[in-house]
Amino acid sequence: MPFSNLPLLVYIYQIWEEEGIEAIETWNVGEQELEGDEESKLSIALDINSTCAKVAFVIISKSMNSPTPQFVPSRLSIYEPIHQIGIWGENFKRNGNPNTSTSLIVEVDNKLENESETTSHEMLAPTNNYEQEASKPIDKIQRRLAQNREAARKSRLRKKAYVQQLENSRLKLIQLEQELQRATQQGLYMGGVLEGSHIGFSGTVNSGIAAFEMEYGRWVDVQHRQICELRTALNAHISDIELRILVKSGMGHYFELFRMKSTVAKADVFYVISGVWKTSAERFFSWIGGFRPSELLKVLVPQLDPLTEQQILEVCNLKQSCQQAEDALSQGLEKLQETVSSTVAGGPVAEVSYIPQVATAMEKLEALVSFVNQADHLRQETLQQMSRILTTRQAARGLLALGEYFHRLRALSTLWVTRPPEPSLP
Amino acid sequence: MQQAIPYKSWPLPCIDATSHRARSTTTLGHNGRGKDVLNIVSENAVIVLARKGCCMSHVVRRLLLTLGVNPAVHEIDEEDEAGVLNELGTICKGTENNKMVQLPAVFIGGRLFGGLDKVMATHISGDLIPVLKDAGALWL
Repeated sequence: MPFSNLPLLVYIYQIWEEEGIEAIETWNVGEQELEGDEESKLSIALDINSTCAKVAFVIISKSMNSPTPQFVPSRLSIYEPIHQIGIWGENFKRNGNPNTSTSLIVEVDNKLENESETTSHEMLAPTNNYEQEASKPIDKIQRRLAQNREAARKSRLRKKAYVQQLENSRLKLIQLEQELQRATQQGLYMGGVLEGSHIGFSGTVNSGIAAFEMEYGRWVDVQHRQICELRTALNAHISDIELRILVKSGMGHYFELFRMKSTVAKADVFYVISGVWKTSAERFFSWIGGFRPSELLKVLVPQLDPLTEQQILEVCNLKQSCQQAEDALSQGLEKLQETVSSTVAGGPVAEVSYIPQVATAMEKLEALVSFVNQADHLRQETLQQMSRILTTRQAARGLLALGEYFHRLRALSTLWVTRPPEPSLP
Repeated sequence: MQQAIPYKSWPLPCIDATSHRARSTTTLGHNGRGKDVLNIVSENAVIVLARKGCCMSHVVRRLLLTLGVNPAVHEIDEEDEAGVLNELGTICKGTENNKMVQLPAVFIGGRLFGGLDKVMATHISGDLIPVLKDAGALWL
Protein backbone atom coordinates (compact mmCIF):
# COMPACT_ATOMS: atom_id res chain seq x y z
CA MET A 1 0.00 0.00 0.00
CA PRO A 2 1.43 3.24 -1.12
CA PHE A 3 1.46 5.42 2.00
CA SER A 4 2.37 3.11 4.75
CA ASN A 5 5.83 4.41 5.31
CA LEU A 6 4.97 8.00 5.67
CA PRO A 7 3.76 9.85 8.74
CA LEU A 8 0.11 10.27 8.59
CA LEU A 9 -2.27 12.82 9.83
CA VAL A 10 -5.78 12.26 10.66
CA TYR A 11 -8.36 14.65 9.65
CA ILE A 12 -11.65 13.68 10.82
CA TYR A 13 -14.39 15.98 9.92
CA GLN A 14 -17.89 15.92 10.97
CA ILE A 15 -20.70 17.66 9.42
CA TRP A 16 -24.04 17.59 11.14
CA GLU A 17 -26.73 16.65 8.87
CA GLU A 18 -29.77 18.70 8.59
CA GLU A 19 -32.89 17.33 7.09
CA GLY A 20 -32.09 15.62 3.90
CA ILE A 21 -28.72 15.13 2.58
CA GLU A 22 -27.25 17.71 0.41
CA ALA A 23 -24.04 18.21 -1.27
CA ILE A 24 -21.73 19.38 1.39
CA GLU A 25 -18.35 19.88 0.21
CA THR A 26 -15.56 18.35 -1.45
CA TRP A 27 -12.62 19.02 0.60
CA ASN A 28 -9.17 19.03 -0.49
CA VAL A 29 -7.49 16.51 1.52
CA GLY A 30 -4.42 17.77 3.21
CA GLU A 31 -5.43 21.37 3.23
CA GLN A 32 -7.65 21.51 6.23
CA GLU A 33 -6.12 20.62 9.48
CA LEU A 34 -8.39 20.59 12.40
CA GLU A 35 -7.51 21.11 16.02
CA GLY A 36 -8.21 19.47 19.28
CA ASP A 37 -11.43 17.64 19.56
CA GLU A 38 -12.35 18.46 16.10
CA GLU A 39 -10.12 15.64 15.32
CA SER A 40 -12.89 13.45 16.35
CA LYS A 41 -15.11 14.66 13.62
CA LEU A 42 -16.07 12.83 10.62
CA SER A 43 -16.83 14.16 7.28
CA ILE A 44 -19.08 13.10 4.63
CA ALA A 45 -18.89 14.15 1.16
CA LEU A 46 -21.67 13.36 -1.00
CA ASP A 47 -21.99 13.44 -4.63
CA ILE A 48 -25.61 13.66 -5.47
CA ASN A 49 -25.08 14.11 -9.06
CA SER A 50 -24.59 10.54 -9.62
CA THR A 51 -27.43 8.16 -9.66
CA CYS A 52 -26.37 6.57 -6.46
CA ALA A 53 -25.42 8.52 -3.48
CA LYS A 54 -21.85 8.23 -2.72
CA VAL A 55 -20.53 8.73 0.68
CA ALA A 56 -16.97 8.52 1.48
CA PHE A 57 -15.30 8.61 4.79
CA VAL A 58 -11.92 9.99 4.83
CA ILE A 59 -10.11 9.00 7.89
CA ILE A 60 -6.55 9.71 8.08
CA SER A 61 -4.94 8.49 11.16
CA LYS A 62 -2.66 10.74 13.08
CA SER A 63 0.00 8.64 14.47
CA MET A 64 3.59 9.58 14.52
CA ASN A 65 4.64 6.31 15.83
CA SER A 66 2.66 3.88 14.02
CA PRO A 67 3.27 3.44 10.45
CA THR A 68 -0.07 2.10 9.76
CA PRO A 69 -3.16 4.10 9.57
CA GLN A 70 -5.49 3.58 12.42
CA PHE A 71 -9.07 4.19 12.78
CA VAL A 72 -9.35 6.65 15.61
CA PRO A 73 -12.14 5.82 17.97
CA SER A 74 -14.54 8.62 18.09
CA ARG A 75 -18.13 9.38 18.47
CA LEU A 76 -19.29 8.46 15.14
CA SER A 77 -22.82 8.63 14.22
CA ILE A 78 -23.92 5.81 12.21
CA TYR A 79 -23.14 6.86 8.80
CA GLU A 80 -23.28 4.20 6.35
CA PRO A 81 -20.62 4.59 3.93
CA ILE A 82 -21.09 3.79 0.43
CA HIS A 83 -17.80 3.59 -0.85
CA GLN A 84 -16.39 4.81 -3.79
CA ILE A 85 -13.14 6.17 -3.97
CA GLY A 86 -12.02 6.49 -7.43
CA ILE A 87 -12.44 10.19 -7.50
CA TRP A 88 -10.56 10.71 -4.32
CA GLY A 89 -7.66 8.78 -5.35
CA GLU A 90 -7.00 11.32 -8.00
CA ASN A 91 -7.24 14.16 -5.57
CA PHE A 92 -4.78 12.53 -3.39
CA LYS A 93 -2.28 12.06 -5.95
CA ARG A 94 -2.59 15.65 -6.88
CA ASN A 95 -2.28 17.04 -3.42
CA GLY A 96 0.33 14.78 -2.11
CA ASN A 97 2.58 16.87 0.01
CA PRO A 98 5.33 15.10 1.80
CA ASN A 99 5.73 17.81 4.39
CA THR A 100 2.39 18.18 5.90
CA SER A 101 0.40 15.19 5.25
CA THR A 102 -0.26 12.37 3.25
CA SER A 103 -3.73 11.38 3.22
CA LEU A 104 -5.09 8.07 2.92
CA ILE A 105 -8.52 7.21 2.11
CA VAL A 106 -9.74 4.34 3.99
CA GLU A 107 -12.61 2.50 2.82
CA VAL A 108 -15.00 1.96 5.62
CA ASP A 109 -17.23 -0.85 4.91
CA ASN A 110 -20.58 -2.00 5.96
CA LYS A 111 -19.33 -3.27 9.23
CA LEU A 112 -19.73 0.20 10.63
CA GLU A 113 -23.40 -0.21 10.40
CA ASN A 114 -23.30 -2.59 13.27
CA GLU A 115 -20.80 -0.81 15.42
CA SER A 116 -21.87 1.16 18.46
CA GLU A 117 -21.45 4.86 18.35
CA THR A 118 -18.57 5.17 20.70
CA THR A 119 -16.54 2.17 20.03
CA SER A 120 -14.97 1.50 16.83
CA HIS A 121 -11.62 0.11 17.30
CA GLU A 122 -11.51 -1.88 14.26
CA MET A 123 -8.36 -1.52 12.42
CA LEU A 124 -9.19 -0.79 8.97
CA ALA A 125 -6.61 -1.88 6.63
CA PRO A 126 -6.01 0.58 4.03
CA THR A 127 -7.06 -0.70 0.80
CA ASN A 128 -5.91 -0.20 -2.56
CA ASN A 129 -9.34 -0.48 -3.65
CA TYR A 130 -9.96 2.41 -5.82
CA GLU A 131 -12.19 0.81 -8.24
CA GLN A 132 -15.64 2.09 -8.59
CA GLU A 133 -18.14 0.05 -6.70
CA ALA A 134 -21.24 -1.03 -8.41
CA SER A 135 -24.02 1.27 -7.39
CA LYS A 136 -26.13 -0.04 -4.60
CA PRO A 137 -29.78 -0.55 -5.00
CA ILE A 138 -31.66 2.70 -4.43
CA ASP A 139 -33.76 1.49 -1.51
CA LYS A 140 -30.71 0.45 0.43
CA ILE A 141 -29.35 3.91 -0.03
CA GLN A 142 -32.62 5.38 1.07
CA ARG A 143 -32.57 3.26 4.17
CA ARG A 144 -29.11 4.40 5.02
CA LEU A 145 -30.03 7.98 4.43
CA ALA A 146 -32.95 7.50 6.76
CA GLN A 147 -30.66 6.08 9.40
CA ASN A 148 -28.40 9.02 9.06
CA ARG A 149 -31.30 11.35 9.54
CA GLU A 150 -32.35 9.39 12.57
CA ALA A 151 -28.91 9.56 14.07
CA ALA A 152 -28.71 13.25 13.43
CA ARG A 153 -32.07 13.77 15.02
CA LYS A 154 -31.02 11.87 18.10
CA SER A 155 -27.91 13.96 18.32
CA ARG A 156 -29.96 17.09 18.20
CA LEU A 157 -32.25 15.83 20.96
CA ARG A 158 -29.31 14.96 23.14
CA LYS A 159 -27.84 18.36 22.52
CA LYS A 160 -31.13 19.96 23.46
CA ALA A 161 -31.34 18.02 26.69
CA TYR A 162 -27.80 18.95 27.55
CA VAL A 163 -28.45 22.62 26.92
CA GLN A 164 -31.56 22.45 29.07
CA GLN A 165 -29.54 20.97 31.89
CA LEU A 166 -26.94 23.70 31.46
CA GLU A 167 -29.64 26.36 31.68
CA ASN A 168 -31.01 24.92 34.90
CA SER A 169 -27.58 24.77 36.43
CA ARG A 170 -26.99 28.31 35.32
CA LEU A 171 -30.12 29.56 37.05
CA LYS A 172 -29.18 27.73 40.21
CA LEU A 173 -25.75 29.24 40.08
CA ILE A 174 -27.21 32.71 39.74
CA GLN A 175 -29.42 32.17 42.76
CA LEU A 176 -26.47 30.99 44.79
CA GLU A 177 -24.43 33.97 43.70
CA GLN A 178 -27.19 36.30 44.75
CA GLU A 179 -27.43 34.72 48.15
CA LEU A 180 -23.71 34.98 48.47
CA GLN A 181 -23.82 38.60 47.45
CA ARG A 182 -26.48 39.32 49.99
CA ALA A 183 -24.52 37.56 52.69
CA THR A 184 -21.41 39.48 51.72
CA GLN A 185 -23.28 42.77 51.80
CA GLN A 186 -24.58 41.92 55.16
CA GLY A 187 -21.10 40.91 56.19
CA LEU A 188 -19.72 44.25 55.06
CA TYR A 189 -22.60 45.97 56.74
CA MET A 190 -22.01 44.07 59.92
CA GLY A 191 -18.33 44.89 59.63
CA GLY A 192 -19.28 48.55 59.81
CA VAL A 193 -21.43 47.95 62.83
CA LEU A 194 -18.88 45.87 64.66
CA GLU A 195 -16.17 48.42 64.28
CA GLY A 196 -15.66 49.76 67.75
CA SER A 197 -18.97 48.57 69.07
CA HIS A 198 -19.56 46.63 72.21
CA ILE A 199 -19.02 42.94 71.87
CA GLY A 200 -22.15 42.09 73.77
CA PHE A 201 -24.34 44.35 71.70
CA SER A 202 -22.96 43.19 68.43
CA GLY A 203 -23.50 39.62 69.44
CA THR A 204 -27.18 40.28 69.92
CA VAL A 205 -27.44 42.28 66.74
CA ASN A 206 -25.71 39.57 64.79
CA SER A 207 -27.96 36.80 65.98
CA GLY A 208 -31.07 38.94 65.51
CA ILE A 209 -30.16 39.62 61.92
CA ALA A 210 -29.11 36.06 61.22
CA ALA A 211 -32.39 34.78 62.61
CA PHE A 212 -34.33 37.24 60.49
CA GLU A 213 -32.46 36.30 57.33
CA MET A 214 -33.34 32.67 57.80
CA GLU A 215 -36.94 33.38 58.60
CA TYR A 216 -37.29 35.72 55.67
CA GLY A 217 -35.91 33.12 53.29
CA ARG A 218 -38.60 30.75 54.50
CA TRP A 219 -41.19 33.52 54.26
CA VAL A 220 -40.44 34.05 50.59
CA ASP A 221 -40.75 30.33 49.89
CA VAL A 222 -44.12 30.14 51.63
CA GLN A 223 -45.21 33.26 49.79
CA HIS A 224 -44.42 31.63 46.49
CA ARG A 225 -46.35 28.55 47.42
CA GLN A 226 -49.35 30.62 48.47
CA ILE A 227 -49.38 32.47 45.18
CA CYS A 228 -49.43 29.23 43.25
CA GLU A 229 -52.27 27.96 45.42
CA LEU A 230 -54.24 31.14 44.84
CA ARG A 231 -53.74 30.94 41.13
CA THR A 232 -54.87 27.35 40.98
CA ALA A 233 -57.84 28.06 43.22
CA LEU A 234 -59.01 31.01 41.16
CA ASN A 235 -58.74 29.10 37.92
CA ALA A 236 -60.53 26.15 39.42
CA HIS A 237 -63.42 28.34 40.58
CA ILE A 238 -63.56 26.98 44.09
CA SER A 239 -66.23 28.12 46.52
CA ASP A 240 -66.07 31.45 48.29
CA ILE A 241 -65.76 29.78 51.65
CA GLU A 242 -62.62 27.95 50.66
CA LEU A 243 -61.29 31.03 48.94
CA ARG A 244 -61.79 33.02 52.12
CA ILE A 245 -59.46 30.65 53.95
CA LEU A 246 -56.76 31.27 51.38
CA VAL A 247 -57.30 35.01 51.58
CA LYS A 248 -57.03 34.99 55.35
CA SER A 249 -53.83 33.01 55.33
CA GLY A 250 -52.41 35.27 52.64
CA MET A 251 -53.13 38.37 54.67
CA GLY A 252 -51.83 36.71 57.81
CA HIS A 253 -48.62 35.95 56.02
CA TYR A 254 -47.96 39.63 55.38
CA PHE A 255 -48.74 40.44 58.99
CA GLU A 256 -46.23 37.81 59.99
CA LEU A 257 -43.59 39.64 57.99
CA PHE A 258 -44.39 42.90 59.79
CA ARG A 259 -43.96 41.13 63.12
CA MET A 260 -40.60 39.74 62.02
CA LYS A 261 -39.47 43.17 60.90
CA SER A 262 -40.51 44.71 64.18
CA THR A 263 -38.38 42.24 66.10
CA VAL A 264 -35.27 42.73 64.01
CA ALA A 265 -35.79 46.50 64.00
CA LYS A 266 -35.27 46.48 67.75
CA ALA A 267 -31.96 44.71 67.19
CA ASP A 268 -30.81 46.95 64.35
CA VAL A 269 -33.16 49.45 62.78
CA PHE A 270 -30.68 50.49 60.10
CA TYR A 271 -30.67 46.94 58.82
CA VAL A 272 -34.40 47.08 58.19
CA ILE A 273 -34.45 50.56 56.73
CA SER A 274 -31.53 49.94 54.41
CA GLY A 275 -33.51 47.15 52.77
CA VAL A 276 -30.38 45.08 52.36
CA TRP A 277 -32.47 42.01 53.12
CA LYS A 278 -34.43 42.52 49.92
CA THR A 279 -33.45 42.11 46.29
CA SER A 280 -32.14 45.12 44.43
CA ALA A 281 -35.25 45.90 42.41
CA GLU A 282 -37.43 45.73 45.53
CA ARG A 283 -34.99 48.03 47.27
CA PHE A 284 -35.40 50.57 44.50
CA PHE A 285 -39.04 51.03 45.50
CA SER A 286 -38.38 50.90 49.22
CA TRP A 287 -39.99 53.44 51.52
CA ILE A 288 -39.12 53.28 55.22
CA GLY A 289 -38.10 49.65 55.01
CA GLY A 290 -40.88 48.30 52.79
CA PHE A 291 -43.33 48.94 50.00
CA ARG A 292 -45.27 52.17 49.73
CA PRO A 293 -48.99 51.53 50.40
CA SER A 294 -50.11 53.95 47.71
CA GLU A 295 -47.90 52.16 45.16
CA LEU A 296 -49.50 48.93 46.25
CA LEU A 297 -52.93 50.28 45.46
CA LYS A 298 -51.77 51.39 42.03
CA VAL A 299 -50.61 47.85 41.32
CA LEU A 300 -53.71 46.17 42.71
CA VAL A 301 -56.61 48.23 41.47
CA PRO A 302 -56.30 47.54 37.72
CA GLN A 303 -56.40 43.83 38.50
CA LEU A 304 -59.66 44.07 40.36
CA ASP A 305 -62.09 45.07 37.63
CA PRO A 306 -64.97 45.18 37.70
CA LEU A 307 -65.61 47.26 40.79
CA THR A 308 -68.95 48.64 41.87
CA GLU A 309 -69.54 52.38 42.09
CA GLN A 310 -69.38 52.16 45.84
CA GLN A 311 -66.13 50.24 45.73
CA ILE A 312 -64.57 52.72 43.34
CA LEU A 313 -65.43 55.52 45.72
CA GLU A 314 -64.04 53.70 48.73
CA VAL A 315 -60.84 52.78 46.92
CA CYS A 316 -60.45 56.39 45.91
CA ASN A 317 -60.81 57.52 49.50
CA LEU A 318 -58.35 54.88 50.61
CA LYS A 319 -55.81 56.06 48.05
CA GLN A 320 -56.14 59.58 49.36
CA SER A 321 -55.87 58.56 53.01
CA CYS A 322 -52.82 56.45 52.24
CA GLN A 323 -51.14 59.31 50.48
CA GLN A 324 -51.85 61.68 53.37
CA ALA A 325 -50.55 59.23 55.95
CA GLU A 326 -47.43 58.54 53.90
CA ASP A 327 -46.72 62.23 53.51
CA ALA A 328 -47.10 62.78 57.24
CA LEU A 329 -44.67 59.97 57.99
CA SER A 330 -42.21 61.18 55.37
CA GLN A 331 -42.26 64.68 56.80
CA GLY A 332 -41.76 63.33 60.30
CA LEU A 333 -38.76 61.40 59.06
CA GLU A 334 -37.32 64.53 57.48
CA LYS A 335 -37.70 66.31 60.78
CA LEU A 336 -35.82 63.48 62.45
CA GLN A 337 -33.03 63.85 59.92
CA GLU A 338 -32.81 67.55 60.63
CA THR A 339 -32.74 66.94 64.35
CA VAL A 340 -30.04 64.29 64.18
CA SER A 341 -28.03 66.35 61.74
CA SER A 342 -28.07 69.46 63.86
CA THR A 343 -27.27 67.45 66.97
CA VAL A 344 -24.28 65.76 65.39
CA ALA A 345 -23.04 69.00 63.90
CA GLY A 346 -23.59 70.94 67.06
CA GLY A 347 -21.00 72.05 69.55
CA PRO A 348 -17.69 73.66 68.82
CA VAL A 349 -15.86 71.92 66.02
CA ALA A 350 -12.59 73.01 67.56
CA GLU A 351 -13.17 70.60 70.39
CA VAL A 352 -11.68 67.19 69.95
CA SER A 353 -14.34 65.42 71.88
CA TYR A 354 -17.63 64.93 70.13
CA ILE A 355 -18.99 62.26 72.36
CA PRO A 356 -21.83 64.31 73.83
CA GLN A 357 -23.18 65.20 70.42
CA VAL A 358 -22.99 61.69 69.12
CA ALA A 359 -24.50 60.27 72.27
CA THR A 360 -27.43 62.65 72.05
CA ALA A 361 -27.87 61.86 68.41
CA MET A 362 -27.97 58.17 69.30
CA GLU A 363 -30.94 58.75 71.53
CA LYS A 364 -32.77 60.57 68.82
CA LEU A 365 -32.12 57.78 66.38
CA GLU A 366 -34.15 55.50 68.60
CA ALA A 367 -37.14 57.17 67.04
CA LEU A 368 -36.33 55.39 63.79
CA VAL A 369 -37.71 52.22 65.27
CA SER A 370 -41.04 53.94 65.73
CA PHE A 371 -41.00 55.06 62.12
CA VAL A 372 -40.44 51.53 60.86
CA ASN A 373 -43.23 50.27 63.08
CA GLN A 374 -45.60 53.01 62.00
CA ALA A 375 -44.83 52.39 58.34
CA ASP A 376 -45.54 48.68 58.72
CA HIS A 377 -48.66 49.51 60.69
CA LEU A 378 -49.81 51.68 57.80
CA ARG A 379 -49.17 48.83 55.35
CA GLN A 380 -51.15 46.48 57.53
CA GLU A 381 -54.08 48.86 57.88
CA THR A 382 -54.15 49.47 54.15
CA LEU A 383 -54.32 45.74 53.45
CA GLN A 384 -57.07 45.36 56.05
CA GLN A 385 -59.11 48.15 54.59
CA MET A 386 -58.77 46.71 51.09
CA SER A 387 -60.03 43.38 52.31
CA ARG A 388 -63.04 45.15 53.82
CA ILE A 389 -63.85 46.93 50.58
CA LEU A 390 -63.45 43.92 48.29
CA THR A 391 -65.39 40.71 47.88
CA THR A 392 -63.64 37.47 48.71
CA ARG A 393 -62.95 36.70 45.10
CA GLN A 394 -61.64 40.18 44.44
CA ALA A 395 -59.45 40.00 47.53
CA ALA A 396 -58.02 36.70 46.30
CA ARG A 397 -57.22 38.24 42.92
CA GLY A 398 -55.70 41.20 44.70
CA LEU A 399 -53.43 39.03 46.81
CA LEU A 400 -52.41 37.07 43.75
CA ALA A 401 -51.61 40.28 41.88
CA LEU A 402 -49.59 41.61 44.79
CA GLY A 403 -47.63 38.43 45.32
CA GLU A 404 -46.97 38.08 41.62
CA TYR A 405 -45.77 41.68 41.46
CA PHE A 406 -43.13 41.15 44.12
CA HIS A 407 -42.18 37.84 42.58
CA ARG A 408 -41.55 39.59 39.27
CA LEU A 409 -39.51 42.28 40.98
CA ARG A 410 -37.32 39.55 42.44
CA ALA A 411 -36.97 37.97 39.01
CA LEU A 412 -36.01 41.38 37.65
CA SER A 413 -33.27 41.58 40.25
CA THR A 414 -31.97 38.16 39.24
CA LEU A 415 -32.00 39.13 35.61
CA TRP A 416 -30.21 42.34 36.41
CA VAL A 417 -27.43 40.50 38.16
CA THR A 418 -26.82 38.36 35.12
CA ARG A 419 -26.87 41.06 32.50
CA PRO A 420 -23.91 40.86 30.11
CA PRO A 421 -21.00 42.99 31.20
CA GLU A 422 -20.41 46.32 29.59
CA PRO A 423 -17.98 45.99 26.70
CA SER A 424 -14.72 47.44 27.84
CA LEU A 425 -13.38 50.35 25.94
CA PRO A 426 -10.39 49.67 23.72
CA MET B 1 -66.13 75.85 54.31
CA GLN B 2 -63.46 74.42 56.44
CA GLN B 3 -62.19 76.40 59.29
CA ALA B 4 -59.26 75.43 61.33
CA ILE B 5 -59.24 76.06 65.02
CA PRO B 6 -56.39 78.41 65.78
CA TYR B 7 -53.58 77.27 67.96
CA LYS B 8 -54.40 78.13 71.48
CA SER B 9 -51.82 79.21 73.94
CA TRP B 10 -52.96 78.16 77.33
CA PRO B 11 -52.79 80.49 80.34
CA LEU B 12 -50.13 80.63 82.97
CA PRO B 13 -50.33 77.91 85.53
CA CYS B 14 -52.71 78.54 88.37
CA ILE B 15 -53.63 76.49 91.34
CA ASP B 16 -56.95 74.83 91.05
CA ALA B 17 -58.38 75.04 94.55
CA THR B 18 -61.47 73.06 93.74
CA SER B 19 -59.68 70.04 92.45
CA HIS B 20 -60.00 67.10 94.75
CA ARG B 21 -57.00 65.49 93.26
CA ALA B 22 -54.27 66.95 95.42
CA ARG B 23 -51.04 67.13 93.60
CA SER B 24 -47.99 66.69 95.70
CA THR B 25 -45.63 68.08 93.14
CA THR B 26 -46.21 71.45 91.60
CA THR B 27 -43.01 72.09 89.80
CA LEU B 28 -42.82 75.53 88.39
CA GLY B 29 -41.89 75.02 84.85
CA HIS B 30 -43.12 76.35 81.57
CA ASN B 31 -45.13 73.43 80.48
CA GLY B 32 -47.08 70.47 81.61
CA ARG B 33 -48.26 70.46 85.10
CA GLY B 34 -50.78 67.79 85.89
CA LYS B 35 -53.80 69.95 86.67
CA ASP B 36 -53.17 72.26 83.81
CA VAL B 37 -53.01 69.39 81.48
CA LEU B 38 -56.50 68.40 82.35
CA ASN B 39 -57.68 71.93 81.75
CA ILE B 40 -55.94 72.11 78.47
CA VAL B 41 -57.33 68.85 77.33
CA SER B 42 -60.87 69.83 78.08
CA GLU B 43 -60.52 73.25 76.56
CA ASN B 44 -59.39 72.12 73.13
CA ALA B 45 -61.28 70.23 70.51
CA VAL B 46 -58.10 68.56 69.38
CA ILE B 47 -54.86 68.51 71.26
CA VAL B 48 -51.68 66.52 70.96
CA LEU B 49 -49.61 65.83 74.03
CA ALA B 50 -46.05 64.97 73.24
CA ARG B 51 -42.53 64.96 74.50
CA LYS B 52 -40.36 67.83 73.52
CA GLY B 53 -38.78 67.37 70.13
CA CYS B 54 -40.73 64.21 69.42
CA CYS B 55 -40.85 63.52 65.73
CA MET B 56 -43.94 61.40 66.01
CA SER B 57 -45.93 64.34 67.27
CA HIS B 58 -44.76 66.12 64.18
CA VAL B 59 -46.26 63.30 62.12
CA VAL B 60 -49.60 63.55 63.89
CA ARG B 61 -49.65 67.28 63.50
CA ARG B 62 -48.88 67.13 59.81
CA LEU B 63 -51.59 64.58 59.26
CA LEU B 64 -54.21 66.61 61.09
CA LEU B 65 -53.16 69.72 59.24
CA THR B 66 -53.70 67.93 55.94
CA LEU B 67 -57.24 67.23 57.02
CA GLY B 68 -57.80 70.88 57.84
CA VAL B 69 -57.38 70.68 61.59
CA ASN B 70 -54.83 72.79 63.41
CA PRO B 71 -54.31 70.90 66.62
CA ALA B 72 -53.00 72.38 69.81
CA VAL B 73 -49.71 70.84 70.73
CA HIS B 74 -48.64 70.62 74.31
CA GLU B 75 -45.04 69.71 74.87
CA ILE B 76 -44.07 68.00 78.04
CA ASP B 77 -40.68 68.24 79.62
CA GLU B 78 -38.99 65.08 80.63
CA GLU B 79 -39.20 65.85 84.33
CA ASP B 80 -42.91 66.51 84.16
CA GLU B 81 -43.66 63.48 82.10
CA ALA B 82 -44.33 61.00 84.88
CA GLY B 83 -46.66 63.42 86.67
CA VAL B 84 -48.60 64.24 83.56
CA LEU B 85 -49.01 60.62 82.59
CA ASN B 86 -50.21 59.80 86.04
CA GLU B 87 -52.78 62.53 85.86
CA LEU B 88 -53.93 61.39 82.48
CA GLY B 89 -54.15 57.84 83.72
CA THR B 90 -56.79 58.82 86.24
CA ILE B 91 -59.06 60.48 83.76
CA CYS B 92 -58.67 57.71 81.28
CA LYS B 93 -59.69 54.91 83.57
CA GLY B 94 -63.09 54.71 82.11
CA THR B 95 -62.16 54.88 78.49
CA GLU B 96 -59.05 52.78 78.02
CA ASN B 97 -58.43 49.49 79.75
CA ASN B 98 -56.16 50.99 82.37
CA LYS B 99 -53.22 51.17 80.05
CA MET B 100 -50.63 53.78 80.63
CA VAL B 101 -51.08 56.60 78.22
CA GLN B 102 -48.48 56.53 75.46
CA LEU B 103 -46.96 59.66 74.11
CA PRO B 104 -47.74 61.25 71.78
CA ALA B 105 -51.36 61.18 72.86
CA VAL B 106 -54.21 62.72 70.93
CA PHE B 107 -57.26 64.08 72.68
CA ILE B 108 -60.37 64.80 70.70
CA GLY B 109 -63.35 66.49 72.23
CA GLY B 110 -61.76 66.45 75.67
CA ARG B 111 -61.34 62.70 75.67
CA LEU B 112 -58.33 60.56 75.05
CA PHE B 113 -58.50 59.30 71.50
CA GLY B 114 -55.28 57.36 71.30
CA GLY B 115 -51.74 57.36 70.00
CA LEU B 116 -50.39 57.62 66.49
CA ASP B 117 -51.37 54.01 65.83
CA LYS B 118 -54.99 54.74 66.52
CA VAL B 119 -55.00 57.92 64.50
CA MET B 120 -53.48 56.19 61.47
CA ALA B 121 -55.80 53.21 61.65
CA THR B 122 -58.85 55.39 62.04
CA HIS B 123 -57.79 57.59 59.19
CA ILE B 124 -57.24 54.66 56.83
CA SER B 125 -60.61 53.19 57.65
CA GLY B 126 -62.15 56.55 56.87
CA ASP B 127 -63.52 57.17 60.35
CA LEU B 128 -61.23 59.95 61.49
CA ILE B 129 -62.94 62.83 59.73
CA PRO B 130 -66.38 62.02 61.16
CA VAL B 131 -64.88 61.90 64.64
CA LEU B 132 -63.23 65.25 64.13
CA LYS B 133 -66.45 66.73 62.88
CA ASP B 134 -68.36 65.43 65.86
CA ALA B 135 -65.88 67.07 68.15
CA GLY B 136 -66.32 70.32 66.36
CA ALA B 137 -62.80 70.37 65.09
CA LEU B 138 -63.90 70.30 61.50
CA TRP B 139 -66.71 71.91 59.68
CA LEU B 140 -67.83 70.69 56.34
